[in-house]
Amino acid sequence: MTTKIRDSGALGVILIALGFILLGSATSIHRTTDFIIFCIFVLGFDLLYGHMGRLSFGHMLFFGSGAYAAGLLVRYTTTNPLVAILVGICGGALVGAILGPVVVRATGACFALINLAFNQVGYFLALVAFAKFTGGEDGLSLTFSNIPFLNIANPKVFFGLTLFCLCLTYYFLKRLTSSPYGILLRAIRENETRAQFIGYNTYRYKWITFVLSSSISAFAGALATINYSYVNPSFIDPTRNVEVIFAALIGGAGNLYGAILGGVSYMLISNYLARYIPRWEMFLGLALLVLVFKFREGIWGNIISVWKSRTQTGG
Amino acid sequence: MLLAVNDLDVHYGHAKALHNINLHLFKGEVICMVGRNGAGKTTLLKTIAGFLKPSQGSILFDKKPIQGFVPEKVSLMGIRYVFQDKRVFSELTVRENIELAAYPTKEKVSDSIKRILNLYPRMDVLMDSKAKGLSGGQRQILLIGRALIGEPKLLLIDEPTEGLSAGIIEEILNVIVRMKGQLSMVIVEQNLSVVSRMADRVYIMKEGGIFKEINDRAVIEQSNALEAYL
Repeated sequence: MTTKIRDSGALGVILIALGFILLGSATSIHRTTDFIIFCIFVLGFDLLYGHMGRLSFGHMLFFGSGAYAAGLLVRYTTTNPLVAILVGICGGALVGAILGPVVVRATGACFALINLAFNQVGYFLALVAFAKFTGGEDGLSLTFSNIPFLNIANPKVFFGLTLFCLCLTYYFLKRLTSSPYGILLRAIRENETRAQFIGYNTYRYKWITFVLSSSISAFAGALATINYSYVNPSFIDPTRNVEVIFAALIGGAGNLYGAILGGVSYMLISNYLARYIPRWEMFLGLALLVLVFKFREGIWGNIISVWKSRTQTGG
Repeated sequence: MLLAVNDLDVHYGHAKALHNINLHLFKGEVICMVGRNGAGKTTLLKTIAGFLKPSQGSILFDKKPIQGFVPEKVSLMGIRYVFQDKRVFSELTVRENIELAAYPTKEKVSDSIKRILNLYPRMDVLMDSKAKGLSGGQRQILLIGRALIGEPKLLLIDEPTEGLSAGIIEEILNVIVRMKGQLSMVIVEQNLSVVSRMADRVYIMKEGGIFKEINDRAVIEQSNALEAYL
Protein backbone atom coordinates (compact mmCIF):
# COMPACT_ATOMS: atom_id res chain seq x y z
CA MET A 1 0.00 0.00 0.00
CA THR A 2 1.35 3.44 -0.88
CA THR A 3 0.80 6.24 1.58
CA LYS A 4 0.42 9.61 -0.09
CA ILE A 5 0.69 12.85 1.76
CA ARG A 6 -0.69 15.71 -0.29
CA ASP A 7 0.83 19.09 0.37
CA SER A 8 -1.22 21.98 -0.93
CA GLY A 9 1.45 24.41 0.20
CA ALA A 10 0.02 25.23 3.63
CA LEU A 11 1.51 22.11 5.18
CA GLY A 12 4.91 22.95 3.77
CA VAL A 13 4.72 26.49 5.11
CA ILE A 14 3.97 25.19 8.59
CA LEU A 15 6.79 22.65 8.46
CA ILE A 16 9.28 25.19 7.17
CA ALA A 17 8.31 27.78 9.76
CA LEU A 18 8.54 25.27 12.61
CA GLY A 19 11.82 23.90 11.30
CA PHE A 20 13.51 27.25 11.19
CA ILE A 21 12.14 28.35 14.53
CA LEU A 22 13.64 25.21 16.04
CA LEU A 23 16.90 25.78 14.19
CA GLY A 24 17.00 29.36 15.42
CA SER A 25 16.48 28.20 18.98
CA ALA A 26 19.19 25.57 18.65
CA THR A 27 21.79 27.79 16.99
CA SER A 28 21.45 31.55 16.77
CA ILE A 29 18.79 33.83 15.34
CA HIS A 30 21.28 35.83 13.29
CA ARG A 31 22.88 32.77 11.74
CA THR A 32 19.50 31.20 11.02
CA THR A 33 18.46 34.39 9.27
CA ASP A 34 21.49 33.90 7.01
CA PHE A 35 20.34 30.36 6.33
CA ILE A 36 16.85 31.52 5.45
CA ILE A 37 18.08 34.15 3.01
CA PHE A 38 20.33 31.62 1.33
CA CYS A 39 17.42 29.17 1.06
CA ILE A 40 15.39 31.80 -0.80
CA PHE A 41 18.30 32.15 -3.20
CA VAL A 42 18.48 28.38 -3.69
CA LEU A 43 14.73 28.26 -4.37
CA GLY A 44 15.14 30.90 -7.08
CA PHE A 45 18.06 29.08 -8.63
CA ASP A 46 16.35 25.71 -8.48
CA LEU A 47 13.26 26.98 -10.31
CA LEU A 48 15.52 27.33 -13.34
CA TYR A 49 17.79 24.34 -12.76
CA GLY A 50 15.67 21.71 -11.09
CA HIS A 51 12.30 22.45 -12.65
CA MET A 52 13.28 23.70 -16.10
CA GLY A 53 16.56 21.87 -16.45
CA ARG A 54 18.79 24.86 -17.21
CA LEU A 55 21.98 25.12 -15.15
CA SER A 56 23.22 28.66 -14.65
CA PHE A 57 26.80 29.42 -13.60
CA GLY A 58 25.96 33.05 -13.09
CA HIS A 59 23.03 33.37 -10.70
CA MET A 60 25.02 35.56 -8.35
CA LEU A 61 24.36 38.28 -10.93
CA PHE A 62 20.70 38.38 -9.89
CA PHE A 63 21.43 38.04 -6.19
CA GLY A 64 23.86 40.92 -6.57
CA SER A 65 21.45 42.94 -8.72
CA GLY A 66 18.87 42.74 -5.99
CA ALA A 67 21.44 43.59 -3.34
CA TYR A 68 22.82 46.57 -5.22
CA ALA A 69 19.43 47.85 -6.32
CA ALA A 70 18.29 47.83 -2.70
CA GLY A 71 21.58 49.27 -1.48
CA LEU A 72 21.71 52.10 -4.01
CA LEU A 73 18.14 53.04 -3.24
CA VAL A 74 18.88 53.24 0.47
CA ARG A 75 22.13 55.15 -0.05
CA TYR A 76 20.70 57.75 -2.38
CA THR A 77 16.95 58.01 -1.71
CA THR A 78 14.75 56.34 0.88
CA THR A 79 15.91 54.14 3.76
CA ASN A 80 12.62 52.26 3.98
CA PRO A 81 13.56 48.55 4.04
CA LEU A 82 10.31 47.33 2.49
CA VAL A 83 10.74 49.69 -0.44
CA ALA A 84 14.34 48.51 -0.69
CA ILE A 85 13.16 44.90 -0.92
CA LEU A 86 10.63 45.78 -3.61
CA VAL A 87 13.20 47.73 -5.61
CA GLY A 88 15.67 44.88 -5.18
CA ILE A 89 13.19 42.39 -6.63
CA CYS A 90 12.43 44.77 -9.51
CA GLY A 91 16.15 45.24 -10.13
CA GLY A 92 16.69 41.52 -10.47
CA ALA A 93 13.58 41.14 -12.58
CA LEU A 94 14.73 43.88 -14.92
CA VAL A 95 18.16 42.35 -15.38
CA GLY A 96 16.52 38.96 -16.00
CA ALA A 97 14.04 40.47 -18.45
CA ILE A 98 16.76 42.21 -20.45
CA LEU A 99 19.19 39.29 -20.55
CA GLY A 100 16.55 36.59 -20.86
CA PRO A 101 15.86 36.91 -24.60
CA VAL A 102 19.52 36.21 -25.30
CA VAL A 103 20.19 33.68 -22.58
CA VAL A 104 17.18 31.38 -22.91
CA ARG A 105 17.96 30.66 -26.54
CA ALA A 106 20.98 28.70 -25.33
CA THR A 107 21.01 25.24 -23.84
CA GLY A 108 23.41 23.04 -21.92
CA ALA A 109 26.94 24.31 -21.43
CA CYS A 110 26.23 27.42 -23.52
CA PHE A 111 23.46 28.45 -21.17
CA ALA A 112 25.64 27.91 -18.13
CA LEU A 113 28.55 29.89 -19.57
CA ILE A 114 26.51 32.77 -20.99
CA ASN A 115 25.14 33.36 -17.51
CA LEU A 116 28.67 33.24 -16.11
CA ALA A 117 29.79 35.76 -18.71
CA PHE A 118 27.02 38.17 -17.79
CA ASN A 119 27.82 37.66 -14.12
CA GLN A 120 31.42 38.63 -14.83
CA VAL A 121 30.21 41.76 -16.59
CA GLY A 122 27.99 42.63 -13.66
CA TYR A 123 30.83 42.08 -11.22
CA PHE A 124 33.08 44.37 -13.24
CA LEU A 125 30.42 47.06 -13.37
CA ALA A 126 29.93 46.96 -9.61
CA LEU A 127 33.63 46.75 -8.79
CA VAL A 128 35.10 49.16 -11.32
CA ALA A 129 32.87 50.84 -13.88
CA PHE A 130 30.29 52.22 -11.45
CA ALA A 131 32.56 52.34 -8.41
CA LYS A 132 31.66 55.99 -7.96
CA PHE A 133 28.13 54.90 -7.08
CA THR A 134 28.67 51.41 -5.68
CA GLY A 135 31.69 52.14 -3.56
CA GLY A 136 33.85 49.78 -5.60
CA GLU A 137 35.70 47.19 -3.55
CA ASP A 138 34.58 48.75 -0.26
CA GLY A 139 30.93 48.65 -1.16
CA LEU A 140 28.25 50.68 0.56
CA SER A 141 27.55 50.85 4.25
CA LEU A 142 23.82 51.28 4.79
CA THR A 143 21.37 52.35 7.42
CA PHE A 144 17.80 51.27 7.24
CA SER A 145 14.97 53.08 8.93
CA ASN A 146 12.56 51.35 11.22
CA ILE A 147 8.97 51.20 10.14
CA PRO A 148 6.44 51.72 12.95
CA PHE A 149 5.25 48.09 12.98
CA LEU A 150 8.55 46.56 11.90
CA ASN A 151 11.70 47.20 13.87
CA ILE A 152 14.20 45.42 11.68
CA ALA A 153 17.06 46.41 13.96
CA ASN A 154 15.67 43.78 16.33
CA PRO A 155 17.17 40.45 15.19
CA LYS A 156 14.06 38.52 16.18
CA VAL A 157 11.83 40.81 14.16
CA PHE A 158 14.08 40.55 11.14
CA PHE A 159 14.24 36.79 11.58
CA GLY A 160 10.44 36.74 11.53
CA LEU A 161 10.37 38.90 8.41
CA THR A 162 12.82 36.73 6.49
CA LEU A 163 11.02 33.58 7.61
CA PHE A 164 7.79 35.08 6.34
CA CYS A 165 9.55 35.86 3.04
CA LEU A 166 10.80 32.29 2.76
CA CYS A 167 7.35 30.86 3.47
CA LEU A 168 5.83 33.23 0.93
CA THR A 169 8.41 32.22 -1.68
CA TYR A 170 7.89 28.56 -0.95
CA TYR A 171 4.10 28.88 -1.17
CA PHE A 172 4.29 30.81 -4.43
CA LEU A 173 6.62 28.26 -5.99
CA LYS A 174 4.57 25.36 -4.66
CA ARG A 175 1.45 26.69 -6.34
CA LEU A 176 3.39 27.50 -9.50
CA THR A 177 5.11 24.14 -9.86
CA SER A 178 1.90 22.24 -9.04
CA SER A 179 -0.01 24.14 -11.70
CA PRO A 180 -0.19 23.48 -15.47
CA TYR A 181 2.73 25.90 -15.75
CA GLY A 182 4.79 23.52 -13.62
CA ILE A 183 3.83 20.59 -15.81
CA LEU A 184 4.97 22.53 -18.85
CA LEU A 185 8.30 23.38 -17.20
CA ARG A 186 8.96 19.71 -16.58
CA ALA A 187 7.99 18.91 -20.15
CA ILE A 188 10.43 21.55 -21.43
CA ARG A 189 13.10 20.08 -19.22
CA GLU A 190 12.49 16.63 -20.62
CA ASN A 191 11.91 17.40 -24.29
CA GLU A 192 11.45 20.97 -25.44
CA THR A 193 10.84 20.03 -29.08
CA ARG A 194 7.89 17.85 -28.17
CA ALA A 195 6.46 20.58 -25.99
CA GLN A 196 6.67 22.93 -29.00
CA PHE A 197 4.86 20.48 -31.13
CA ILE A 198 1.99 20.22 -28.70
CA GLY A 199 1.49 23.93 -29.31
CA TYR A 200 3.56 25.78 -26.72
CA ASN A 201 5.75 28.77 -27.41
CA THR A 202 8.46 27.37 -25.18
CA TYR A 203 10.71 30.41 -25.67
CA ARG A 204 8.11 32.61 -23.97
CA TYR A 205 7.75 30.27 -21.01
CA LYS A 206 11.50 29.89 -20.64
CA TRP A 207 11.87 33.65 -20.58
CA ILE A 208 9.12 34.06 -17.98
CA THR A 209 10.73 31.39 -15.78
CA PHE A 210 14.11 33.06 -16.15
CA VAL A 211 12.63 36.36 -14.97
CA LEU A 212 10.87 34.69 -12.03
CA SER A 213 14.09 32.93 -11.05
CA SER A 214 16.09 36.14 -11.25
CA SER A 215 13.45 38.01 -9.24
CA ILE A 216 13.47 35.48 -6.41
CA SER A 217 17.28 35.48 -6.36
CA ALA A 218 17.21 39.28 -6.23
CA PHE A 219 14.71 39.07 -3.37
CA ALA A 220 17.32 37.10 -1.43
CA GLY A 221 19.98 39.63 -2.35
CA ALA A 222 17.90 42.54 -1.10
CA LEU A 223 17.25 40.73 2.19
CA ALA A 224 20.96 40.00 2.52
CA THR A 225 21.73 43.70 2.12
CA ILE A 226 19.36 44.55 4.96
CA ASN A 227 20.72 41.70 7.08
CA TYR A 228 24.31 42.85 6.82
CA SER A 229 23.60 46.58 6.45
CA TYR A 230 26.04 46.76 3.61
CA VAL A 231 26.55 45.64 0.07
CA ASN A 232 29.84 44.97 -1.64
CA PRO A 233 31.14 43.07 -4.68
CA SER A 234 31.09 39.76 -2.82
CA PHE A 235 27.30 39.87 -3.28
CA ILE A 236 27.78 39.57 -7.04
CA ASP A 237 31.03 37.59 -7.10
CA PRO A 238 30.94 34.92 -9.84
CA THR A 239 33.14 32.55 -7.83
CA ARG A 240 30.35 32.20 -5.28
CA ASN A 241 27.99 30.59 -7.79
CA VAL A 242 29.35 27.25 -6.68
CA GLU A 243 27.57 27.71 -3.33
CA VAL A 244 24.06 27.77 -4.72
CA ILE A 245 24.82 24.97 -7.20
CA PHE A 246 26.19 22.77 -4.43
CA ALA A 247 23.19 23.52 -2.25
CA ALA A 248 20.73 22.54 -4.99
CA LEU A 249 22.60 19.33 -5.70
CA ILE A 250 22.97 18.39 -2.04
CA GLY A 251 19.30 18.90 -1.27
CA GLY A 252 17.93 17.48 -4.49
CA ALA A 253 17.17 19.52 -7.57
CA GLY A 254 13.63 19.94 -8.77
CA ASN A 255 12.04 19.78 -5.37
CA LEU A 256 11.19 22.71 -3.11
CA TYR A 257 11.93 20.85 0.10
CA GLY A 258 15.17 19.68 -1.48
CA ALA A 259 16.20 23.25 -2.24
CA ILE A 260 15.56 24.33 1.37
CA LEU A 261 17.24 21.26 2.81
CA GLY A 262 20.19 21.80 0.51
CA GLY A 263 20.44 25.43 1.51
CA VAL A 264 20.44 24.57 5.19
CA SER A 265 22.90 21.70 4.71
CA TYR A 266 25.32 23.85 2.78
CA MET A 267 25.17 26.63 5.34
CA LEU A 268 25.64 24.19 8.22
CA ILE A 269 28.69 22.74 6.50
CA SER A 270 30.22 26.10 5.65
CA ASN A 271 29.43 27.71 9.01
CA TYR A 272 30.10 24.89 11.45
CA LEU A 273 32.30 22.34 9.79
CA ALA A 274 34.76 25.09 8.95
CA ARG A 275 35.47 25.44 12.68
CA TYR A 276 36.75 21.89 12.91
CA ILE A 277 38.14 21.11 9.47
CA PRO A 278 40.59 23.68 8.04
CA ARG A 279 39.98 22.61 4.45
CA TRP A 280 36.24 22.18 4.69
CA GLU A 281 35.84 22.91 1.00
CA MET A 282 37.61 19.63 0.32
CA PHE A 283 35.02 17.84 2.45
CA LEU A 284 32.32 19.56 0.42
CA GLY A 285 33.95 18.42 -2.81
CA LEU A 286 34.12 14.84 -1.55
CA ALA A 287 30.49 15.03 -0.40
CA LEU A 288 29.50 16.22 -3.83
CA LEU A 289 31.34 13.33 -5.49
CA VAL A 290 29.50 10.88 -3.27
CA LEU A 291 26.19 12.56 -4.08
CA VAL A 292 26.77 12.59 -7.81
CA PHE A 293 27.80 8.95 -7.98
CA LYS A 294 25.71 7.41 -5.25
CA PHE A 295 22.82 9.71 -4.28
CA ARG A 296 21.98 11.51 -7.48
CA GLU A 297 18.62 12.68 -6.26
CA GLY A 298 20.14 14.55 -3.34
CA ILE A 299 19.15 14.27 0.31
CA TRP A 300 15.44 14.94 -0.17
CA GLY A 301 15.18 12.85 -3.31
CA ASN A 302 16.67 9.87 -1.50
CA ILE A 303 14.41 10.37 1.51
CA ILE A 304 11.42 10.23 -0.85
CA SER A 305 12.77 7.10 -2.59
CA VAL A 306 13.24 5.30 0.71
CA TRP A 307 9.78 6.40 1.91
CA LYS A 308 8.17 5.16 -1.30
CA SER A 309 9.92 1.81 -1.22
CA ARG A 310 9.00 1.27 2.43
CA THR A 311 5.34 2.19 2.00
CA GLN A 312 5.02 0.12 -1.15
CA THR A 313 6.49 -2.98 0.51
CA GLY A 314 4.43 -2.31 3.64
CA GLY A 315 7.62 -2.05 5.68
CA MET B 1 -8.19 19.68 -50.82
CA LEU B 2 -6.81 19.78 -47.29
CA LEU B 3 -3.09 19.45 -47.94
CA ALA B 4 -1.09 20.24 -51.04
CA VAL B 5 2.67 19.88 -51.25
CA ASN B 6 4.11 21.45 -54.38
CA ASP B 7 7.62 21.11 -55.81
CA LEU B 8 9.13 20.69 -52.36
CA ASP B 9 12.89 20.45 -51.85
CA VAL B 10 14.51 19.97 -48.45
CA HIS B 11 18.21 20.05 -47.69
CA TYR B 12 20.24 18.82 -44.74
CA GLY B 13 23.16 21.19 -45.14
CA HIS B 14 24.36 20.66 -48.69
CA ALA B 15 22.72 17.24 -49.02
CA LYS B 16 19.38 17.20 -50.75
CA ALA B 17 17.03 15.03 -48.68
CA LEU B 18 13.85 15.68 -50.67
CA HIS B 19 13.48 16.79 -54.26
CA ASN B 20 10.47 17.88 -56.19
CA ILE B 21 7.87 16.41 -53.85
CA ASN B 22 4.30 16.78 -55.02
CA LEU B 23 1.42 15.26 -53.15
CA HIS B 24 -2.10 16.10 -52.11
CA LEU B 25 -4.61 14.96 -49.52
CA PHE B 26 -8.37 15.41 -49.42
CA LYS B 27 -10.45 15.75 -46.26
CA GLY B 28 -11.11 12.44 -44.57
CA GLU B 29 -8.47 10.63 -46.61
CA VAL B 30 -5.68 8.41 -45.36
CA ILE B 31 -2.53 8.36 -47.44
CA CYS B 32 0.44 6.17 -46.63
CA MET B 33 4.04 6.99 -47.43
CA VAL B 34 5.92 3.79 -48.16
CA GLY B 35 9.57 3.30 -48.98
CA ARG B 36 12.84 1.84 -47.83
CA ASN B 37 14.91 3.35 -45.02
CA GLY B 38 16.39 6.68 -46.05
CA ALA B 39 13.78 7.34 -48.71
CA GLY B 40 12.81 10.63 -47.05
CA LYS B 41 9.46 9.72 -45.51
CA THR B 42 10.16 11.07 -42.03
CA THR B 43 11.87 14.13 -43.52
CA LEU B 44 8.68 14.89 -45.43
CA LEU B 45 6.51 14.60 -42.31
CA LYS B 46 8.90 16.78 -40.31
CA THR B 47 8.84 19.43 -43.04
CA ILE B 48 5.06 19.53 -43.09
CA ALA B 49 5.06 19.70 -39.28
CA GLY B 50 7.43 22.68 -39.27
CA PHE B 51 10.55 21.09 -37.86
CA LEU B 52 12.40 21.50 -41.14
CA LYS B 53 12.28 24.42 -43.53
CA PRO B 54 12.05 23.63 -47.22
CA SER B 55 14.62 25.19 -49.50
CA GLN B 56 12.06 25.36 -52.28
CA GLY B 57 8.41 24.74 -52.88
CA SER B 58 5.21 25.24 -50.93
CA ILE B 59 2.97 23.47 -48.46
CA LEU B 60 -0.67 24.53 -48.46
CA PHE B 61 -2.91 23.49 -45.59
CA ASP B 62 -6.57 24.34 -46.06
CA LYS B 63 -5.38 26.59 -48.90
CA LYS B 64 -3.05 28.54 -46.59
CA PRO B 65 0.73 28.39 -47.02
CA ILE B 66 2.44 26.92 -43.96
CA GLN B 67 5.98 26.24 -45.16
CA GLY B 68 8.45 27.81 -42.76
CA PHE B 69 5.95 28.05 -39.88
CA VAL B 70 7.26 27.06 -36.45
CA PRO B 71 6.02 23.73 -35.05
CA GLU B 72 3.81 25.27 -32.36
CA LYS B 73 2.00 27.38 -34.95
CA VAL B 74 1.50 24.37 -37.21
CA SER B 75 0.12 22.43 -34.25
CA LEU B 76 -2.31 25.18 -33.32
CA MET B 77 -3.53 25.29 -36.93
CA GLY B 78 -4.73 21.71 -36.52
CA ILE B 79 -1.86 19.51 -37.67
CA ARG B 80 -0.53 17.02 -35.14
CA TYR B 81 2.56 14.92 -35.46
CA VAL B 82 3.00 11.53 -33.79
CA PHE B 83 6.72 10.83 -33.68
CA GLN B 84 8.29 7.55 -34.62
CA ASP B 85 10.16 7.02 -31.37
CA LYS B 86 7.04 6.70 -29.15
CA ARG B 87 8.52 9.07 -26.62
CA VAL B 88 6.07 10.44 -24.13
CA PHE B 89 6.98 12.84 -21.34
CA SER B 90 8.14 9.97 -19.21
CA GLU B 91 8.59 11.90 -15.94
CA LEU B 92 5.03 13.19 -16.11
CA THR B 93 2.05 11.04 -15.25
CA VAL B 94 -0.29 9.83 -17.98
CA ARG B 95 -2.85 12.39 -16.78
CA GLU B 96 -0.26 15.18 -16.96
CA ASN B 97 0.70 14.12 -20.48
CA ILE B 98 -2.93 14.52 -21.48
CA GLU B 99 -3.39 17.81 -19.59
CA LEU B 100 -0.35 19.26 -21.29
CA ALA B 101 -1.85 18.56 -24.71
CA ALA B 102 -5.26 19.90 -23.72
CA TYR B 103 -4.30 23.36 -22.45
CA PRO B 104 -3.18 24.98 -25.74
CA THR B 105 -6.32 23.73 -27.48
CA LYS B 106 -8.69 24.99 -24.79
CA GLU B 107 -10.35 21.57 -24.75
CA LYS B 108 -11.52 20.52 -21.29
CA VAL B 109 -9.11 18.09 -19.66
CA SER B 110 -12.00 15.82 -18.70
CA ASP B 111 -13.06 15.62 -22.36
CA SER B 112 -9.51 14.85 -23.41
CA ILE B 113 -9.26 12.06 -20.86
CA LYS B 114 -12.60 10.65 -22.05
CA ARG B 115 -11.31 10.71 -25.61
CA ILE B 116 -8.30 8.63 -24.69
CA LEU B 117 -10.29 6.20 -22.56
CA ASN B 118 -12.61 5.67 -25.52
CA LEU B 119 -9.58 4.58 -27.52
CA TYR B 120 -8.11 2.47 -24.73
CA PRO B 121 -10.30 1.91 -21.67
CA ARG B 122 -7.50 0.13 -19.81
CA MET B 123 -5.62 3.45 -19.58
CA ASP B 124 -7.96 4.37 -16.70
CA VAL B 125 -5.89 2.52 -14.10
CA LEU B 126 -2.68 4.06 -15.42
CA MET B 127 -3.75 7.71 -15.26
CA ASP B 128 -1.72 8.60 -12.19
CA SER B 129 1.29 6.45 -13.04
CA LYS B 130 4.39 7.92 -14.59
CA ALA B 131 4.31 7.53 -18.34
CA LYS B 132 7.72 5.88 -18.34
CA GLY B 133 6.04 2.76 -16.99
CA LEU B 134 3.84 2.32 -20.07
CA SER B 135 4.52 -0.40 -22.60
CA GLY B 136 5.38 0.50 -26.20
CA GLY B 137 1.83 -0.10 -27.35
CA GLN B 138 0.32 1.89 -24.50
CA ARG B 139 2.66 4.79 -25.29
CA GLN B 140 1.65 4.71 -28.92
CA ILE B 141 -2.04 4.79 -28.02
CA LEU B 142 -1.40 7.63 -25.58
CA LEU B 143 0.48 9.54 -28.28
CA ILE B 144 -2.26 9.04 -30.85
CA GLY B 145 -4.91 9.94 -28.30
CA ARG B 146 -2.95 13.01 -27.27
CA ALA B 147 -2.65 14.04 -30.90
CA LEU B 148 -6.43 13.90 -31.23
CA ILE B 149 -6.98 16.42 -28.45
CA GLY B 150 -8.50 19.63 -29.70
CA GLU B 151 -9.94 17.90 -32.77
CA PRO B 152 -7.14 18.43 -35.24
CA LYS B 153 -7.75 18.37 -38.97
CA LEU B 154 -4.67 16.39 -39.97
CA LEU B 155 -2.59 13.72 -38.27
CA LEU B 156 0.94 12.95 -39.36
CA ILE B 157 1.88 9.56 -37.93
CA ASP B 158 5.37 8.18 -38.28
CA GLU B 159 5.55 4.37 -38.25
CA PRO B 160 2.77 3.69 -35.74
CA THR B 161 3.32 -0.07 -35.63
CA GLU B 162 7.11 -0.23 -35.56
CA GLY B 163 8.47 -2.52 -32.87
CA LEU B 164 5.05 -3.57 -31.60
CA SER B 165 3.57 -7.03 -31.15
CA ALA B 166 0.86 -8.36 -33.45
CA GLY B 167 -1.88 -7.87 -30.85
CA ILE B 168 -0.98 -4.24 -30.26
CA ILE B 169 -0.64 -3.59 -33.98
CA GLU B 170 -4.21 -4.83 -34.38
CA GLU B 171 -5.41 -2.47 -31.61
CA ILE B 172 -3.67 0.49 -33.16
CA LEU B 173 -4.95 -0.41 -36.59
CA ASN B 174 -8.48 -0.53 -35.21
CA VAL B 175 -8.00 2.93 -33.72
CA ILE B 176 -6.79 4.33 -37.02
CA VAL B 177 -9.47 2.63 -39.07
CA ARG B 178 -12.14 4.02 -36.68
CA MET B 179 -10.82 7.52 -37.34
CA LYS B 180 -10.97 7.13 -41.12
CA GLY B 181 -13.41 9.45 -42.77
CA GLN B 182 -13.51 11.76 -39.75
CA LEU B 183 -9.88 12.75 -39.81
CA SER B 184 -7.28 13.10 -42.53
CA MET B 185 -4.00 11.29 -42.01
CA VAL B 186 -0.59 11.00 -43.59
CA ILE B 187 0.99 7.84 -42.27
CA VAL B 188 4.52 6.61 -42.80
CA GLU B 189 4.47 2.83 -42.57
CA GLN B 190 6.83 0.00 -43.48
CA ASN B 191 4.42 -2.83 -42.68
CA LEU B 192 2.70 -3.34 -46.03
CA SER B 193 -0.09 -5.54 -44.67
CA VAL B 194 -1.02 -2.68 -42.34
CA VAL B 195 -0.83 -0.22 -45.25
CA SER B 196 -3.20 -2.41 -47.22
CA ARG B 197 -5.83 -2.12 -44.52
CA MET B 198 -5.45 1.60 -43.78
CA ALA B 199 -4.66 3.49 -46.91
CA ASP B 200 -6.94 5.14 -49.42
CA ARG B 201 -3.91 6.03 -51.50
CA VAL B 202 -0.23 5.19 -51.31
CA TYR B 203 2.83 7.19 -52.28
CA ILE B 204 5.97 5.19 -52.89
CA MET B 205 9.12 7.15 -52.05
CA LYS B 206 12.61 6.41 -53.28
CA GLU B 207 15.83 8.38 -52.75
CA GLY B 208 14.12 11.56 -51.62
CA GLY B 209 11.46 11.67 -54.30
CA ILE B 210 7.98 10.38 -55.03
CA PHE B 211 8.41 7.32 -57.22
CA LYS B 212 4.79 6.45 -57.72
CA GLU B 213 1.30 7.30 -56.53
CA ILE B 214 -1.08 4.35 -56.22
CA ASN B 215 -4.79 5.06 -55.94
CA ASP B 216 -6.12 1.71 -57.17
CA ARG B 217 -7.71 -0.03 -54.18
CA ALA B 218 -7.17 -3.40 -55.77
CA VAL B 219 -3.42 -2.85 -55.84
CA ILE B 220 -3.33 -1.31 -52.35
CA GLU B 221 -5.17 -4.25 -50.83
CA GLN B 222 -2.48 -6.61 -52.04
CA SER B 223 0.66 -6.02 -50.03
CA ASN B 224 2.60 -8.19 -52.50
CA ALA B 225 1.72 -5.76 -55.26
CA LEU B 226 2.97 -2.85 -53.17
CA GLU B 227 6.20 -4.62 -52.39
CA ALA B 228 6.97 -4.93 -56.06
CA TYR B 229 7.30 -1.16 -56.27
CA LEU B 230 9.91 -0.92 -53.49
